[in-house]
Amino acid sequence: MRGSGKNAVLMVFTHSPYGSSLAGAGLDAALASAAFEQPVDLLFIGDGVLQLQSKQDNQALKIKHMGKVLASLPLYGIDRVYVDAKAVSRYQLDLDASLLATEALEPDKMHKLMVDYDHLLSF
Amino acid sequence: MILHTLNASPSSAAFQDCLSLLHAKDALVLLGDGVYAAVAGTHAYEALQGSPARVHVLLSDALLAGVNPNVQGIVPIDMEGLVSLTENFPRQQAWY
Amino acid sequence: MIYALLVLAPPVSGQASRHALTFARTVIARGHTLHRVFFLDAGTLNSAAGIVLPQDEANPVQPWSALARQHAVELVICVTSALRYGMLDAEEARRHDRQAPTIDTSFTISGLGDLVDACAQADRVVTFGG
Repeated sequence: MRGSGKNAVLMVFTHSPYGSSLAGAGLDAALASAAFEQPVDLLFIGDGVLQLQSKQDNQALKIKHMGKVLASLPLYGIDRVYVDAKAVSRYQLDLDASLLATEALEPDKMHKLMVDYDHLLSF
Repeated sequence: MILHTLNASPSSAAFQDCLSLLHAKDALVLLGDGVYAAVAGTHAYEALQGSPARVHVLLSDALLAGVNPNVQGIVPIDMEGLVSLTENFPRQQAWY
Repeated sequence: MIYALLVLAPPVSGQASRHALTFARTVIARGHTLHRVFFLDAGTLNSAAGIVLPQDEANPVQPWSALARQHAVELVICVTSALRYGMLDAEEARRHDRQAPTIDTSFTISGLGDLVDACAQADRVVTFGG
């Protein structure tokens, strides 16, 4: 847990990157937090882990590349990123090839992480 | 202590994600399509009965959906009840 | 306690935005301070001035403006999402060369900094999605 502000915030991503505009809105919110020097930590649960897929290609469609946004987060001081270990294995994601360094957690550890924060923002 | 709110049907990924993170001392409020998890005898209902968290259902939404809000193991609440839960629980996780 | 709400759900489809509204009223009725309601993503559609519903259905936008008027609650819609969803105030409509504003004047268009600030100020942040 951390946060230079009064409250520590964990952003919880539970939706796939392109199935809705939620992922984009959430990542924008994470970047804004960093810009205002209130860095947040991130947790990807369930379908949310699909945002970490490294081979996203938006060449054919003029759609914002979520992977690139995600990969840029450490530049803004967002470097504590946690993922749902079960979902990672369910989707056979290769975390070593993922877009940014993450820590995979089992459900009990995820819960333990979540209760460390004042606010959970769910996208 | 987490107050979970579930606004998605029991066949959703949101329901599964939520279920795996319900701990003792947590509370869950079923609202919107989440109220279908309060249908007694269904897999979802049984799964929630097996969880250590206290389960509530938003009365207005259960009535709208035609779901009986008075089933064993689930506490019907109104909006006043939901706000009161947020007073007592320091954080909320919205599943939808 | 100080509350802030994050509304991600659109009006008309589903119940989440109505939950947010009733929750907001109840928070105030119970003596809390509602610092801000921040509308993000499809939630920005709650500001749509042009919503017309049959007479026997409650309009989702008017109760928000009533809340803002009666209790001085800040209703903020995220500028990035608002533009994506075509929710423009007079200034944005002019800036982007659109014919007319599309949002109700009780809502203010602002940046995500207002959400960051709400998280820093509020004891409780409650999210409504769906």
